[in-house]
Amino acid sequence: MELVLQAIDINKTYPGVKALDSFDFELIKGEVQALVGQNGAGKSTFIEIIAGSLRPDSGKIIIEGKEFEYLEPFQSIELGIQTVHQETQLVNELSVAENIYLFDIPVNRWGLVDYQLCKERASSLLEELGIDIDPDLKVEKLTFIEKKLVSIAKAFSRKAEILILDEPTASLDEKGKEILFDVIRRGTKRGLSVIYISHNLGEIFEISSRVTVLKDGKKVGTHETSKISMNTIVSEMIGKKATTIYVRDKHGKWIDEQNKLEVVDYSQAGVVENVTFSVSRGEIFGLGGLVGSGRTELARMIFGLDEKDSGRLIYCGKDITPKSPYDAIQKGIGYLTEDRKEDGLLLERPILENVSLVRLAKSNRFFLNLLQEKIETKEMSDKIQIKTPSIENIVLTLSGGNQQKVILAKWLFAGAEILIFDEPTVGIDVGAKGEIYRMIEQLASEGKVIIMISSDNPELITMCDRVGIMRNGKLVTILENENINEENILRYSMGVIEEEVQK
Amino acid sequence: MTENVQIKERKSRRFNLSQSMILILLIVLLSIIATVVNPNFIRFTNLINILQQIAVLGIVASGVGMLLVSGEIDISVGSQVSLMGVILAMTIQKMLGLPEGNVAQWRQTLAIPFAVFITFAVGFVLGLINGITVIKSKAHSFIITLGFMLAYKGVALLTTGGASYMLFGTFETLGRGRVLHFIPIPVLFLIGIILVTHIILKYFRYGRFLYAVGDNRKAAYVSGINTNRITVTAYIVVGLLDALAALILISRVGSALATTGDPYALDALAAVIVGGVSILGGKGNALSIFLGVVLIGLIGNALIIMNVNPYVRDVVIGLIIIIAVSIGQFSTQK
Repeated sequence: MELVLQAIDINKTYPGVKALDSFDFELIKGEVQALVGQNGAGKSTFIEIIAGSLRPDSGKIIIEGKEFEYLEPFQSIELGIQTVHQETQLVNELSVAENIYLFDIPVNRWGLVDYQLCKERASSLLEELGIDIDPDLKVEKLTFIEKKLVSIAKAFSRKAEILILDEPTASLDEKGKEILFDVIRRGTKRGLSVIYISHNLGEIFEISSRVTVLKDGKKVGTHETSKISMNTIVSEMIGKKATTIYVRDKHGKWIDEQNKLEVVDYSQAGVVENVTFSVSRGEIFGLGGLVGSGRTELARMIFGLDEKDSGRLIYCGKDITPKSPYDAIQKGIGYLTEDRKEDGLLLERPILENVSLVRLAKSNRFFLNLLQEKIETKEMSDKIQIKTPSIENIVLTLSGGNQQKVILAKWLFAGAEILIFDEPTVGIDVGAKGEIYRMIEQLASEGKVIIMISSDNPELITMCDRVGIMRNGKLVTILENENINEENILRYSMGVIEEEVQK
Repeated sequence: MTENVQIKERKSRRFNLSQSMILILLIVLLSIIATVVNPNFIRFTNLINILQQIAVLGIVASGVGMLLVSGEIDISVGSQVSLMGVILAMTIQKMLGLPEGNVAQWRQTLAIPFAVFITFAVGFVLGLINGITVIKSKAHSFIITLGFMLAYKGVALLTTGGASYMLFGTFETLGRGRVLHFIPIPVLFLIGIILVTHIILKYFRYGRFLYAVGDNRKAAYVSGINTNRITVTAYIVVGLLDALAALILISRVGSALATTGDPYALDALAAVIVGGVSILGGKGNALSIFLGVVLIGLIGNALIIMNVNPYVRDVVIGLIIIIAVSIGQFSTQK
């Protein structure tokens, strides 16, 4: 048994988060080892360290008998570590052959590109891997699976000892998956070792020989896939007990079932499929699922930001389907987007201007009333407890938690009755998280309709009256009461033996 | 944590203040040097003279400045002024004929109002075309307006055939007149436009939205702002201000060539950028536009009055832009 990669006692800390905690890892020559864990368990951090794009705080990496404290990207490539990312990184304008040899293009004696040689090499490589694609085709003409296969061929074009596959089957159909697995199996026969990251446990059982489970940056264990059950893996991913930082009193006394928001049959081809649910006033409805399962896309459609094929929004019996964000705001909907910096805040403008923005957009005033605006936004920011010496400070100077409060203040200031929170506590420290939870709870008790998207499962469990789980664009189930637990959320999110859970 | 926030805050405050302060210091310093070399510089008539010289630039720069605040750019403003100047002069000449000829009374009465109306109408249309093309093409506004810069210039050349339209003193008051024999009319327009710019940016909902769209267009859209309408309106404002600039410029010069307004494109951009309006949008105000314009005008005037080769002007202005932008970049990276 020959080890091709050994990582010993790797640590990596980000402000407030231990991304990797004394992590050990061993990869045997010729094996496919799966790496599983929840969002934020540390899989990506580890991969980046191995690929050389991130330096660990401490620890050792041993490859080919050589010991490294960290790797530079070029070292990693020279050692034969090749990564195939979830998003293909190919140049659409170039041919398959040119893409495969992009960083190592053959040249003739004049130093010019030798296209003939490039094509010949690509042909023989593709043939060897059993991939049937014309090397002359432009990459933009390829299907998704073909692009994936070309990315893998590209990885093999250099010295490839260790292949890292990050969610390789995301958006692949069954046939595409079979082709991919076939290529992986051919590779391992030639002595290639594979680190395989996936949320799809079914696949992991099909392709991997061993599986390593990560939880909060720590290794829970490495098992031979044939000797472990899916259920054991799921429980290992969840761990013993999630630390709760907030306790919500969920007796549902505020829920007003007469008046509710109905989300009816939202669809957009390839993104969201026939999603229907309803949320009562005073209720917090959670939306769980994996990243990319269509939750954010659904929220954007509800808010009138993105196109949709179908879908109606009914509030207290009235059709309020918004045509645009402006229309949504007029109808009392507020959307706290997933990425505050991307489309939430005016980072270099004062807090005051951020808070009053939506109300201004909603009104038909021509002139500003600066004095009144200042008094009222100050009141609002005090109520929300934005910690700042002055509301004339620019938002950039605030911490993540306070920035999130600014966004919340802006929607409340405009009088939003229906609030969609998309990952409300991402990148926020523990103290501010508690405050945000308290505010959301408070808003529910005031009779607002709240939809909360989160990838932080303990957060969904703590906060939500009901939790809908999305998977591949579909709302697969709605969990209620004691069924809202981490195990159920995870199983439905990953599509693990659904019948068994219901027993 | 709070301490940290306060330190950051103080830093950004200090910079914002110093941005305008540096300009004021620079202006004072330059004035002192010029006065020492040639005491005539500080005479009231020369100072009024400087204001008159920068009036057209200031009007063009106000439009460009507000557009830049909203995160877009227009480098076709010079060609717009040229084209509108040509159309204005041509209309007047067609209506009034040559000086010796007889023209009907109604023509004499209507020539100027009609020509002024046409100029503003063209300004509106050019702004509308620019704005709509920018939002529909989704290309960077620099490229779109580069194209329009060439196109408008071409139309101006086609219209004149390379010759100039003379006005024979029929349209002089606006550019050369003085109120109370003392303050040039263009200076009044300059001050008026700067004040209006200040009011729009500070007290109008529209002005607030310019900053919002310039700082983060996506966030502005999510917040319910019709971002496309804001952008198109900003281009129309630029077009209308260019029309006013063309009226004053042609009135002062007394004739129109297809290239009369060309230098204003780069000078106006230079002025607002030196003044501290961010090319990335979301930053700047009427004071920064005004100070930038004054500085540019001052450099030109001071160099002439100090008897320095006037061609040095562009070298100096060029270097000042580079320094100003580098300082701005440096401060935002902190």
